Amino acid sequence: MDIRIRSVTKDFRSEGKRIRALDEVDLTIPANQIFTLLGPSGCGKTTLLRCIVGLETPDAGEIAIGSEIVWSRAKNIYLPPEQRGLGMVFQTYAIWPHMNVFDNVAYPLQNRKVSQEEIRSRVAKVLEFVQLEGFEKRPATDLSGGQQQRVALARALVAEPKVILFDEPLSNLDAKLREATRKELRRFLTELKITAVYVTHDRVEALTLSDQIAVMRAGRIIEIGDPKKIYFNPDHRFVADFIGRANLIPGRVRALDEARAVIASAVGEIVACNRQQLAVGAETMVCVRPEFIKIVATGAAPVRNAFRAKVESLVFVGEAYEGEIRIGKTLLTMTVEPTVRINEGDEIVVSFQPDHCFLLTP
Amino acid sequence: MLQKTLLTPTLIFLVGFLTVCPVVMLVVGSFSPGFGTFGQFTVAKYVAAYTDPGLAAMFWNTLFFTLGSAILATVLALFLAYLNTRTNLPWKFLFGIISIVPMMIPHILFAASWVLLLNPSNGILNRLAMELFGLESAPFNIYSLSGMILVEGLLDLPIAYLLIAPAMSAFDVSLEESSRVCGASNLRTLVRVTLPVLRPAILAAVILVVVRSLASFAVPSVIGMPGRIYVLASHIYRIVATGFAADYGQAAAVGMSALAASIGLICLYRYLTAAGEQFVTISSRGFKPAVISLKNWRYPLFAVVAALSLVLIVLPVLVLVYTSLTPYVMAPSARAFSLMSWRHWSQVLADPVSLLSLKNSIILGLAGATLGVMLSVFVAYVIVKVRTIGAGILESLTFLSFSFPGIVIGVGFMLFFVRTPLYGTLWALLIGYIATYLPYGVKPLSSAFIQIHSHLEESSRVCGAPPFRTLRRIVIPLLIPGMVSGWILMATMFVRELTLSVVLSRPGTEVLAVQILRFAEDGLWGRLSALGIIMIVISSTLVVVASVIGRKLTRMQIVG
Repeated sequence: MDIRIRSVTKDFRSEGKRIRALDEVDLTIPANQIFTLLGPSGCGKTTLLRCIVGLETPDAGEIAIGSEIVWSRAKNIYLPPEQRGLGMVFQTYAIWPHMNVFDNVAYPLQNRKVSQEEIRSRVAKVLEFVQLEGFEKRPATDLSGGQQQRVALARALVAEPKVILFDEPLSNLDAKLREATRKELRRFLTELKITAVYVTHDRVEALTLSDQIAVMRAGRIIEIGDPKKIYFNPDHRFVADFIGRANLIPGRVRALDEARAVIASAVGEIVACNRQQLAVGAETMVCVRPEFIKIVATGAAPVRNAFRAKVESLVFVGEAYEGEIRIGKTLLTMTVEPTVRINEGDEIVVSFQPDHCFLLTP
Repeated sequence: MLQKTLLTPTLIFLVGFLTVCPVVMLVVGSFSPGFGTFGQFTVAKYVAAYTDPGLAAMFWNTLFFTLGSAILATVLALFLAYLNTRTNLPWKFLFGIISIVPMMIPHILFAASWVLLLNPSNGILNRLAMELFGLESAPFNIYSLSGMILVEGLLDLPIAYLLIAPAMSAFDVSLEESSRVCGASNLRTLVRVTLPVLRPAILAAVILVVVRSLASFAVPSVIGMPGRIYVLASHIYRIVATGFAADYGQAAAVGMSALAASIGLICLYRYLTAAGEQFVTISSRGFKPAVISLKNWRYPLFAVVAALSLVLIVLPVLVLVYTSLTPYVMAPSARAFSLMSWRHWSQVLADPVSLLSLKNSIILGLAGATLGVMLSVFVAYVIVKVRTIGAGILESLTFLSFSFPGIVIGVGFMLFFVRTPLYGTLWALLIGYIATYLPYGVKPLSSAFIQIHSHLEESSRVCGAPPFRTLRRIVIPLLIPGMVSGWILMATMFVRELTLSVVLSRPGTEVLAVQILRFAEDGLWGRLSALGIIMIVISSTLVVVASVIGRKLTRMQIVG
C-alpha cells in the first residue's frame, strides 16, 4: 500500500516558543518499497513517522494509507493508531517486560480476535522467520539487544500489516551487531514485499537499506531519490554534505553541452556533469567526493581535470590514507590508497573524474 | 485530552487541600482567641506560649534529644555501612535485616520494650545487672535524656543507613586507591578521603534524623513524660491532651516553631541531596569496590553487628512476649516462668476499648491504604508523565507533608475538623493519615511510572489495542509492584499510627497505638505487650497478604 501525505504541518510548543516540526510536507511513499526518511536529529523525521502511525496528530493536512484517509483536518478524520493496522518497531523496541516472547508477539493477534490455534501457528511461523524458534517461553527481560530487536520485528510482522514503520531501530545496538542486523533486515524486507518506512540519521544505514531516500531538514523534505542518486548526484548542497564527505568548490558556468559543463573556479577549469541544465554565467558549486580525486602517475597519458597539488598532510586511517592537498589556495581532502607512496610536502598531479564532479544549487 | 487538562488541577486542589489546609488552620488558630472562634486577631496565644517558664528547658531538651539521636544513628549507620560495603565481614545478610526489619516494629512498642528492659525500679536488664554484680541501685535509668537519645537513635538507624549505604557503595574506589598509592594507611584514607567525600550523604542523614526525631512522639511520650523530660512534641501534647482545658491555639503557636524548623531542615536536606549528587562520584566501571580484609578483627566486629541486630530486633519482641505472659514486670527466673498465664491476653480480648481500637486500626489500614494508593497512582502519573508547571506544583505539595511533624499537623487538622461534621469520626483520621503519609505511596508509584517508557504504551496502540485495553494489559500490570509496595508501606504506617492519632482520636475512634499509649500511661505493661504483639501480627499479615495478592495479580494479567 502506498502512503500519501499532503501539506502536513505540525508545530510543537516549547517554553512559550513555537517550533515547526513539519512544514507543509508533501510526500508519496510508493507501495512495496523500503522508503527511508533521513536527516539530522530534530529535522522532523520521527514526527512524520508518528503522524503516519497516529501517535501524533498534525495541525493541518491530510494523510492517506492505501485508499483510506487516516487523518484529515479539513474532513475532520482521525483514525486512532489501533485502527490503522500498521506494524511498528520502536527505537527502544518497547518489549513488554511482564510478558514472555510468545505473549509479546501474540499480542497484536489477540487484539484482532484471532483463534488461539491460529495465534500459535502464526507466532511460531513469524518467530521462525526472525530466527527465534524455541524462544516462546523466554521472559522478555532475558533477551539480548539483538534478540529484543528481532522480537520487536516479529511483533510488527505477525499480523501481516501492509505497512511497517521503523523508528531508528538499530541505534541501540553496538557497531558490529548493527552491521549484521542491517543486512538481515534488508533480507527480511525484500522477501516480504511490504511497504517499509524507515527513519534514521545514519547515512550508511539509509544507503544500504533503502529503495528510496527522502532527506529532511528543518521540517521539510529537501530531496528524494534512490541511494545512488542521493550519493553520487544530489541536487542540494545540504544533501551532498550530509550523505558523505564532500569537497565543495564555488565557481561560474563557462561553457555547456548536452552532458558536460565547464566551470571556472579558483582551482581552474573543471569539467563536470551537466544535469541541472544551468545557464552560461550562472553561479554554481562543484562537488567532488574525496574518493574520486585520484593521483595521476608521472608520465601517464594526459587526463581531464588534472591539477597540480601539494600534499599538506597525510593521516593513516586503516583502510586508506586521508590526505589534505592544496591546489592554489584551495584546500581539498582526498582518499589515498595505502599502497601509493607519497609523503607530506610532495608535489603531485591529481585528477577529478568528470562523471563524479556534480553541480549543486548553492 | 479533556481528562488530561482536568486531571492536574483536580489533583492540585485535592492534595493542596490535604497538605495546605492544616497549615493554614494552624496559622489561623494560633492567632485566634478560642478553639471555635475565628475572626478576632490576637497574639495572646503566642504571648502565653512563649512566656511559659518551662519553655527554655523544653527547647534545650529538644535540641539535645534531636541532635543526640541524629549523631548516634548516623555514627552507627556509618559503621554498619562501611562494614557491609567495604569489608569481608561474614554473614552480610544481617545488614539487610538490620536496615529493614526495625521499620516493621512500631515505634511505641520499641520504646515500651526499652522501658521494660531498663526502667530503674524493675527493668529486666537493670535487675539482672544488680543480681549479677551485687549492685545497690539500678545501673541505668531509661527515664532520662540519654535514655531517650539511645532509643530514638536506634529507631532512626535504618533511615540513616538507607541514606548512607548507597552512597558508600557508589563511591569511586580510585579516589581511595590513589590515596593509598600516595602512602596513606587504610585508616588515614578513611578519615582524609572517604568520609569527606561522603560528607553530603552524612549531613543529609543527620538532618533527616533530626527532622524525624523532632516529629517523634513515641519516645517522648513513653520514655520522656514519665521522667518529666519534655520536648516539643510532648510539650504540645501536654497543652492539648492534659489539664482541664485543651488550648489548641496555644498548641498551634508552639507548633509554628516546630513546623518552621522542620520545613527549613527539609529544604536544607533537599538542597544537600541535590548538591550531593554532583559531589559523590559514581563509578560506572562495573566492578565491585576493593574489599578490605579485617583479619583478626573479623569476628569481634561481627559480634558487634550481631549484638546490634539482637538489640534492634530480637530483644524488643522477646520482651513483649515475655511481659504479656508474666503477672507483672519481673526479671526472668524459675518463679517467673511458673507464674506465666494468658491473663493479660484474655483481659485485652475482653476489653471493649481495645477491641474497638483493633477494629478501627484495621479499617483505617485497609481503607486508608487503598484510597491512598488510588490517589498516589494519579499523583505519580501527573508528576512523572504530564510534567507541566502544574505537575511541578503538585510534586512540591505532595512532598511538603514529608516535613510535617505529625502532632503539629494533627493540631492543624483538629482546628479544621472541629468546624465540620467529620469531627470525632474515623473519616477525620483517614483524611489526616492520607495527607501525612501521601509521599509513602507516591514514591514507589513514581518509580514504577518512570520505568514505563511511553513506547510501551504506544506500541500497544499500534498493535491494535485501544486506550482502555492498553491500560489493562500493559500499564496496570507494570504498575502492580509499585502499587503493592505503596499499599504495604501505607497500611503498616496506618495500623501503627500514633502522633496524628493522639490528637485526632476521640472516644469511639480509638486506634491501636493510642490504646497502647494509654496502657503505658497507666502502667498496664502486660496488656500493652499483648495488644502490641497483636499489632505486630496484623502488620506482618498485611505485608504477607498484600505481596501474595500482588504476585497473583501480575500473573493473572499475563495469562488473561
